[in-house]
Amino acid sequence: MATKVILPRLGQGMESGTIVRWLKAEGEPVRKGEPLFELDTDKVTQEVEAEASGVLLRIEVREGEVPVGQTVAFIGAEGEELPAAAPDGGAGRPAAPAGPAGAEGAAPPVGEREPPAAREAPAAEPAQPSDGRLKASPLARRLARERGLDLAAIRGSGPEGRIVAEDVERAGAATAARVAPLAAGEPERRPLSNVRRAIARRLGEAWQVPVFQLQVSADMSRVNALLARLRERDPEVRVTVTDVLTKVCAQALMRHREVNAEFGADAILLHPTANVGLAVAAPQGLVVPVIRAAERRSLREIAALRSELVARARENRLRAEDLEGGTFTISNLGMYGIERFTAVLNPPQAAIVAVGASEERVVPLDGATAVRPMLTLTGTFDHRAVDGAPAAAFLRTVKESLEEPGLAL
Amino acid sequence: MPELTYREAVRDALVQAMRQDDDVFLIGEDIAEMGGSMGVTHGMLEEFGPERVRNAPISEMAIAGAAIGAALQGMRPVAEIMYEDFLTLAAEQIVNQAAKHRYMSGGQVSVPVVFRTQGGAGWSPGAQHAQQLEAWFVHIPGLKVVFASTPEDVRGLLWSAIYDDNPVVFFEHRTLYPLKGEVPEALEPVPLGRARIHRAGEDVTVIATGRLVHESLQAADEAEREGVSVEVVDPRTLQPLDEETLVASVKKTNRAVVAHEAVTRMGFGAEVAAVLQYRAFDWLDAPIERVGARFTPLPFSPVMESFVVPHADDVLAAIRRTVGRER
Repeated sequence: MATKVILPRLGQGMESGTIVRWLKAEGEPVRKGEPLFELDTDKVTQEVEAEASGVLLRIEVREGEVPVGQTVAFIGAEGEELPAAAPDGGAGRPAAPAGPAGAEGAAPPVGEREPPAAREAPAAEPAQPSDGRLKASPLARRLARERGLDLAAIRGSGPEGRIVAEDVERAGAATAARVAPLAAGEPERRPLSNVRRAIARRLGEAWQVPVFQLQVSADMSRVNALLARLRERDPEVRVTVTDVLTKVCAQALMRHREVNAEFGADAILLHPTANVGLAVAAPQGLVVPVIRAAERRSLREIAALRSELVARARENRLRAEDLEGGTFTISNLGMYGIERFTAVLNPPQAAIVAVGASEERVVPLDGATAVRPMLTLTGTFDHRAVDGAPAAAFLRTVKESLEEPGLAL
Repeated sequence: MPELTYREAVRDALVQAMRQDDDVFLIGEDIAEMGGSMGVTHGMLEEFGPERVRNAPISEMAIAGAAIGAALQGMRPVAEIMYEDFLTLAAEQIVNQAAKHRYMSGGQVSVPVVFRTQGGAGWSPGAQHAQQLEAWFVHIPGLKVVFASTPEDVRGLLWSAIYDDNPVVFFEHRTLYPLKGEVPEALEPVPLGRARIHRAGEDVTVIATGRLVHESLQAADEAEREGVSVEVVDPRTLQPLDEETLVASVKKTNRAVVAHEAVTRMGFGAEVAAVLQYRAFDWLDAPIERVGARFTPLPFSPVMESFVVPHADDVLAAIRRTVGRER
């Protein structure tokens, strides 16, 4: 089946666009993602990419103004037969409000083209193409519903222009960044969720605490080799850098118990086990599920627990007990390419470590330079509970264990 | 851990059950002196004698009927139907008798019988000796249906099937008999109705049975190189079906491919797809893909046979479609 090339909506409020020129000729092969034609809107001129691979079988609209959602070309297999008229060109097919004007300029007749009459049918403005049904995966629909996004305003990147979850995520991020298109000058109002309230309250509290930060970088060569080996031996459980950090920090906390602490009204509490919380970006906001007694667990166990907790967090299915009892927190933004950052304390815990990306850096080595995967850790400590020297000793142990993971065994 | 072939693993479960339990016996065509046409019962006549390794005349209906009768009398027979294509000849006994007695007697009798059989393409046996007919039996209330894909699973599942008080149709795949795999030192029963996650992944769940488990694992490796992380799950027991594991996996990955060697149309995969769309509807980010044989009798020609049944490439293509990376 040939894939229809549909005039995309490039921004909210866009109802039509003007095709300036085609960058591919009929009969020419195209790959998904390659620029296909230039489109002029009231805001920008932009290249539109092909959403399917194959051969550009037929250009329906060479140039001129076209309503959003109209089929402008077909991509399919070489030699594939197309219906004489565009399948969505029937009576129900919406046409430009301007009537024939826009559509006519659009159709240079070539042989087996559909009769112009079909093209002149007036058209409202379909949210999305063809049969009038807006194509979106069930997951995309759910995400859009949960985030209050209008699917009609989202451009689908899936097969046949289907809106998939990724498109909704992207649109969500874009709307967050943009001024919401409400009445001019009026901010969009998002009522506080309970999770948001809790985040605000706890981080407000944390800000009152006198803290200091310490930073250290570790060579991750051996950890990376270990991870590769573990994944090769047991592909069922995917062990990650976070899992190694969880294990290594937990063991270091047992050796430096003053860091695994809590500042109380009339005493400092030193916890008997290292219950390591992992900061997770869940749809509803930041949550910190806890891996209890991480110092006693195997890497494999930690990985399995972490994977389950993160999955539950993303589905908003965490139980209260998953979030309780943490004595220390790891916040990892390495996957976003963040090099280093400082984290805000997670009270009443006395320490949190912020993890950056493991990235290749030039480092001095034995009087020469070498390129090594380096990871920067930034600890934030509650100075009321722990002093600089023991906190530094803790981070030194973590660094040593990362550089020589065997020592953590 | 010791290593057994799939064939040896089946035999090991039979031998161990027969050693510990006089109620277990075998009946089938050429299973005694000849050791079965697939060699599964090779050597068992010498240990257990002709009373317990019983050659039967060439009548699947008689084999199934005799086994059901013995089961009703308290034995735990294991009947071998040489090719699953021949289940058709025993269908009356299996579908109308074995599956019904416990229900129709109000629980006064049970039918603890196992119908072991094998099938599958890949060695050019033609249209009447290589079909995959599991979907027919999954459709019958009163039967349990097992399809094992590894030596470890086939041994543990056969044991559980023998000791289940219900009739079990137990499918083996012809091309898996020589497959070697590690098994636990002591036989560990695998409970019926529990799926196995062969490989964890994040982007797509492939639910596969029989030979297609191995093809799917191969496709998953290839997909991994393309940056797509694939979870491969084998339901192992088709009836009862471990819906929880399948649904949980798809809720995690948001995409699903179901794969089996049987024809796609009305296949076991269709039922799995229906379960997933209902229970994980709001988690699906792509249509569920089905992989199976083309809708045609199996050709004898090896080239044509290979064209008709699915392989790793077909699974990989389906995986790519679910993530929108069609090529």
